[in-house]
Amino acid sequence: MDRGIIKDIFLLMLEVIKALLSILWKTIASFCAVLWDRFFGMTDVSNEAPPVREWGMTGEDTWQSEPEGDQGAETQPVQKEEPRKAEEKKEAVSVYVQSVPELPEGYGDNRIVLMVRDPFWLFTYWEIRKDAFDKVRNALGILAHSAKIVLRVYDVTDIIFNGTNAHKHFDSEVPGSARSWYVNVGEPNRSFCVDIGFLAPNGTFRILARSNTVKMPRISISEVVDEKWAGIEELYEKTFVQTGLGISGESVFERVHRNWQEMPKEGVSPGVSSAESSKAT
Amino acid sequence: MEKGFLSLILHAHLPFVRHPEYPEFLEEDWLFEAITETYIPLIDVFDKLIEEGIDFRITMSLTPPLISMLTDEFLQSRYIRYVEKRIELSEKEIKRTKHQPEFLSLARMYHHYFTNARYVFAEKYQRNLVLAFKKFQDMGKLEIITCGATHGFLPLMNNNQNAMRAQIHVAVNHYEKHLGRKPRGIWLPECAYEPGIDLLLKEAGIRFFITETHGVLFATPRPKYGIYAPVYCPSGVAAFGRDAESSKQVWSSKEGYPGDFSYRDFYRDVGYDLDYEYVKPYLPGDSKRTNIGIKYYRITGKTDHKEPYSPERAKEKAAEHAGNFMFNREKQIEHLASIMDRKPIIVAPYDAELFGHWWFEGPQWINFLFRKIAFDQKTISLITPTEYLEKYSINQVSTPSLSSWGYKGYSEYWLNETNDWIYRHLHKAAERMVELSRLYPHTSKDSIQHRALNQAARELLLSQSSDWAFIMKTGTMVEYAVKRTKKHIYRFTKLYTDIKSDTIDPNWLSEIESRDNIFPDIDYHIYQ
Repeated sequence: MDRGIIKDIFLLMLEVIKALLSILWKTIASFCAVLWDRFFGMTDVSNEAPPVREWGMTGEDTWQSEPEGDQGAETQPVQKEEPRKAEEKKEAVSVYVQSVPELPEGYGDNRIVLMVRDPFWLFTYWEIRKDAFDKVRNALGILAHSAKIVLRVYDVTDIIFNGTNAHKHFDSEVPGSARSWYVNVGEPNRSFCVDIGFLAPNGTFRILARSNTVKMPRISISEVVDEKWAGIEELYEKTFVQTGLGISGESVFERVHRNWQEMPKEGVSPGVSSAESSKAT
Repeated sequence: MEKGFLSLILHAHLPFVRHPEYPEFLEEDWLFEAITETYIPLIDVFDKLIEEGIDFRITMSLTPPLISMLTDEFLQSRYIRYVEKRIELSEKEIKRTKHQPEFLSLARMYHHYFTNARYVFAEKYQRNLVLAFKKFQDMGKLEIITCGATHGFLPLMNNNQNAMRAQIHVAVNHYEKHLGRKPRGIWLPECAYEPGIDLLLKEAGIRFFITETHGVLFATPRPKYGIYAPVYCPSGVAAFGRDAESSKQVWSSKEGYPGDFSYRDFYRDVGYDLDYEYVKPYLPGDSKRTNIGIKYYRITGKTDHKEPYSPERAKEKAAEHAGNFMFNREKQIEHLASIMDRKPIIVAPYDAELFGHWWFEGPQWINFLFRKIAFDQKTISLITPTEYLEKYSINQVSTPSLSSWGYKGYSEYWLNETNDWIYRHLHKAAERMVELSRLYPHTSKDSIQHRALNQAARELLLSQSSDWAFIMKTGTMVEYAVKRTKKHIYRFTKLYTDIKSDTIDPNWLSEIESRDNIFPDIDYHIYQ
């Protein structure tokens, strides 16, 4: 038999096997997804309520295909609104198309930016230009190969930081591939600044970039008292009890912004009966 | 005379979602549902109270994206289509349930509900609900406050003063255009404040803002009255702290009213419950099952078993809960008044869309609460923050603490491993916008350059909506939020490079101007 035909048949069989495998894979995947949702999902499946899907509640992607891709594709004229005719076109919009260009990895800057997440944690992201990186690395000479990349976190509360006058500092090693990092400074109400740089085993530190300075928020009532407005202790205690701030374990930290996503869960799973809730004061 | 005050504040906000490039778009339903289930029912409550001569005070933030959508002709006509489809379905439902009396009466209720929505929207207020709210404001019953231009989380853009300033000034100008005067107060996006933001508010003529409980409670120096009186920031702008106790009564999953078994169940919607072919014409865009807005059951209990909804029973419960809320505020005010040397104010803010959308009976609850406060007691008076500041113009000077009303009370919900990648792009875009406005201080108004610069400002603002980071964190509809962020940054970046290389594509510019058409009167010089 002609070798070409055998090859074609062979390739065809491969395609068939591939298709069968893909069906099998989809089945397994959807089964696993069902199991996952059943045991770990957000939706309470013990309630017969249908999967929630509105106001941003669905887990599915619903961005429909859009006639816009790369630059220039947006020149298509805007469809004029014709409400009644629109329904007929429904079929055309159900295809999902990945159409948004990816954002750049970097902007050619050499910088590190510091942000406050909460009274204890900082977030920092950076971009180091290759020339700057190489320059600092080369300057380290023989030490370069054993040097680590660290974030040097300075406590600069109430000072104008000049690089040497920080109250204290600590180093946090980061992987060479990292581009952002969370740092636990653990000290509310103090100011911090970060350097990213090379730290050699002998303690030599060479800076790649220095961040802005940020101040961590308070986590307690101020100790500063204005004489003309001396505080009413009972009011704080009362508020403390109500919010649990600083005293009981249940605190403002447990509160979640009840946005679209949050409320329905509350709505259908009341923790107490109405009789009890009416008594609550 | 009253012993203290209650200031009820509703934060009405939706992200700017408008997709003329599609015949139907699922996320546009967010607006249409809020119009039907929250804004119109609230407007009905206010109109009725006024008609009957019952005095009330309430404060609402109408965010610039929401005002933009409510006044957008394209979305207005889509809303008409949305509500008419529901009227049509409820007519079919009346026929379908004719042998099931407990559902038939509900089908009739929905028919009336949607017909009324259409009437209020299209006829009574000529498609522009902002006019309804403006009317209540002009009558002195409602104080409308503004918000960030696109609900940008200000402390997370604090490395760029101009970006923060633009969020505030664009909002103030937009408010003035639609409401005929400048706003006196602001709902800071996500209630997020950090020291210094008040200076920008002052500059924009804003007199007060609201913080989460610990924003004012942790102010320095220690606030004499805790959260039961405002403090002045050193700039002179007043900060009111949110009362945790009254919030919890409405919000809490344990004690909150909305979970009562008599109230309507949010989940049991005909969009899921009825035959697919039957409901298909009423599903948006991709025809996947979703909520349509006709729901026949009450919460009933913690199990799957659901009983038919009884509007009468739910109404009684709403009245009872309004009474309970008022009783608790009376006790609270009496106690506070006994230890304070001035009348306390309880500030109770909520998401507006809780009322009616999630909690179907919420607008009725407000109705009962206002009536009871007017007739059944003498301890509390309703008040707006502006009125309180008129009564008590001398307040302690103290700087509130960084805070937000998000999970854990600071910035984490908008800054975590799900969404932290956006900030390097948002910051860069803001920096570039400032650069552009300084590079091109003089452009003639009709030039393409001028238009491109203004559009760049719009794209930057749209990318800064805290809604995108929020959705990324919730883990639902993430793809939409990611795409919106990338798309606006992409459009901004293309404008930036095109403007600088003098290669602006006029067709493409017209196209994105018509899509992202928020803030038609924006002036990019705000970033200078």
